[in-house]
Amino acid sequence: MDTTEALALAKEVAGAWTWETELVEPEENRLDIHLKNAGDLAAAATEIQANRLGYLAAITGIDLGAEAGELEALYHFCQAGAVITLRIRLPRENPVVATLTGIIPGAEPFERELSEMFGVTVEGLRAPNHLYLPEDWPDEVFPQRKDFDPAVLDGEAERSV
Amino acid sequence: MTTNTTSERFTVPIGPQHPALKEPGAFRFNVDGEIVTSATVRLGYAHRGIEKLAENQNWVQNIYLFERTCGICSHTHATTYCLGVEKLAGVEVSPRVSAIRTLVAELERIHSHLLWLGVSAHEAGFDTLFMFGWRDRETVMDLLEMISGNRVNYSVNILGGVKVDVTPEIVEQILAGVDLLEERTKHYLDVVSTDAGFLQRTRGVGVMTREQAEALGAVGPTARASGVARDLRVDAPYLSYSDFPVQMILDDRGDLEARFVVRLRELFESYRLLRELVTHMPEGELATRMPRRIKAGETVSRLEAPRGDVFYFIQSNGSDKPARVHVRTPTVCNMTSVVKLALGHQLADVPLILAGIDPCFSCNDR
Amino acid sequence: MNTVTTIAALLLFPSGLILLLSGLAFEWADRKLLAQYQNRLGPRWFQPLADVVKLLAKEEVVPEGVNRTLFIALPIAGLAGALTAALYTPLFGLQPAYSFRGDLIVTLYLLSLLTLCMGLAGSNTLDRFSLVGATRTLTQLFSYEAPFMLALLGPAVAAGSWQISEIADYSSAGRYLLLTQPLGFLVAIVGLMGKLELPPFDAPEAETEIVAGALTEYSGRGLALFRLGKGVELVVGLTLVAAFYMGGVANPLLWLVKTLILLLVMVALQALFTRLRIDQTVGLWWRYGALLVLVQWLIMVLVGLL
Repeated sequence: MDTTEALALAKEVAGAWTWETELVEPEENRLDIHLKNAGDLAAAATEIQANRLGYLAAITGIDLGAEAGELEALYHFCQAGAVITLRIRLPRENPVVATLTGIIPGAEPFERELSEMFGVTVEGLRAPNHLYLPEDWPDEVFPQRKDFDPAVLDGEAERSV
Repeated sequence: MTTNTTSERFTVPIGPQHPALKEPGAFRFNVDGEIVTSATVRLGYAHRGIEKLAENQNWVQNIYLFERTCGICSHTHATTYCLGVEKLAGVEVSPRVSAIRTLVAELERIHSHLLWLGVSAHEAGFDTLFMFGWRDRETVMDLLEMISGNRVNYSVNILGGVKVDVTPEIVEQILAGVDLLEERTKHYLDVVSTDAGFLQRTRGVGVMTREQAEALGAVGPTARASGVARDLRVDAPYLSYSDFPVQMILDDRGDLEARFVVRLRELFESYRLLRELVTHMPEGELATRMPRRIKAGETVSRLEAPRGDVFYFIQSNGSDKPARVHVRTPTVCNMTSVVKLALGHQLADVPLILAGIDPCFSCNDR
Repeated sequence: MNTVTTIAALLLFPSGLILLLSGLAFEWADRKLLAQYQNRLGPRWFQPLADVVKLLAKEEVVPEGVNRTLFIALPIAGLAGALTAALYTPLFGLQPAYSFRGDLIVTLYLLSLLTLCMGLAGSNTLDRFSLVGATRTLTQLFSYEAPFMLALLGPAVAAGSWQISEIADYSSAGRYLLLTQPLGFLVAIVGLMGKLELPPFDAPEAETEIVAGALTEYSGRGLALFRLGKGVELVVGLTLVAAFYMGGVANPLLWLVKTLILLLVMVALQALFTRLRIDQTVGLWWRYGALLVLVQWLIMVLVGLL
């Protein structure tokens, strides 16, 4: 199906959902589905896959800042030129989300990146060791959060040659 | 280094330093004799924190940063970024700019596929094909040098336009170069499809079915060789691809031979497109003024790099620096398939299976 | 046997120093010809010599966990085997330095000694690449050895002797066995490529899979000696096949011409083919290699009977 058909079908499918959602169309080829409850993610992703509304192209993490106290995770599904994004908000203190690898095996590297860069605990992720960061990276330091201070690594610099 | 001397299996490390790899990445294959029984991958050796760096530099400086995500698809990264930022700012570029960007993108695709042909032939032990392929790659590098001044990492993009123009002399050289390359590519396609020794190493090796490719989220020629019809230039034409369309090249065998054939046949499409493009270059100015501060908003920008689709998510908060740029490169999607496909194959097939997805670890690690 | 001439033969000519230098010269010819086939320049004439001199000047690193004596001794034993094998072959177109009945078998086994030493050297270490490379070296040894030996015994049967000098004299009398025993000649050339681990039979030292195979841990003097051994093996192998099949090597000029022609053919075969996987190599040799040489023998026997 092409871009317009995909967007139309996506709106229809998402509109029929019983969970709390908000549909926004930020650009002509995009549909953002804000899921109010992060626990609905797996079910929503399953529905999108079932309706063949694209493949999981990327998982973007955004740190909304310490004042907002939230992180946002965007799950982008692409079909032709359409980008259908599931957006969930997670609390900054203890962000937990269920893994999608049961439904979408290809989600693994994206979820590992999300977990090591933003500190999101992805439940059910097999082998959650570091993918991009080095082994001796200090725990609880998440580089892509807004409050990341590179000075934290200065103590580590002498250790690793 | 721990050694594992269990009699049934031991671990053969490929990487982070290994002659098979052009860039660092650590693979560990547990082998039983010559058969691979399990595999793991560790990336991040070329991780430079580009996404985070981008938040501290202004929009113009970031072009030069994103160009350097990768050496062989640098133009694609820069173009994707520029297209995204131009969309956010609401700036329309002239048709000539799009045409020149398309021209360089297709030349980059030709460069990348010829380089890949040589490297994969080298992994298979077929050095003659490697040397011949790279000799012909010099032709496309000369063309790119003529246009941009660089053989690799062309850097033709600026926000709102391009830095270079295509003169009639360049057009003439491009046409001559494309003629030569097309003749050579026909020969390589012939070799790859009919050479008995080469086929012994590639036919039926590393088969990925369509369902597997879709489940693992493979993109680019790797996916198209398994019959998955994904090509952004066809599905969602950007730049000049709506005026100068390309055909999608698919193959349903899913083995290494299919990956070779798909990439070589894609080259023919690029040659055809280049000929049409340079002989019908639209007119227009080379650059449009862009504001220093980009309007607040978010955009998704996607382009088809030689390895698959590149995905940029750019968020602006109205200042002169981006708030968030997320880059998803095609090799990330294809890398999981290597680990799965290598199982049950011989150790000798592993470098070829890895080369078959056209890995770009710099892109991968950012 | 005069002791002085013995020592001179061993150290200088025809074995020893001159042979080592010839080995390097043939290695250069091989690399240069391959480069020409691949449309590139190739190394300058002194490159292999420079490589060996550089390696001899470098520190030899003995890795942890190996048997030190074996590690140091194996390259020496391998080179010694190759050099000794040279004593029985008509090198440089001259009569072999020593000759006795049955020396064909001894020579073939001395040539295999080098391969065996490489295999042992690979097994000696803890390194994964060396272990896989050693396994492949020895597997390849088992595959090509029988057909290659039978291919060299074909001319022996025709000449009615197992002494290399006699077989060489038999061929020198104008008998071009490559015409009367073409299958044997084919197996001999390809078998030589297998013995020397030249592409397409270079799975044991597949650079893109196992770095350098059995010799991965070697550096400095050990590596230099192995490389010299391989060069000597190249010269000796070419001489044997040329002497047996291509009408003998009666004088130095003929020797040079014939071995170079043979090298040209071998380099063409190197450039044309993709590297075979080790299981494909074994399959090829035990199926086609053995079959061809047995057919050749059958033909010889039938023609002899008629």
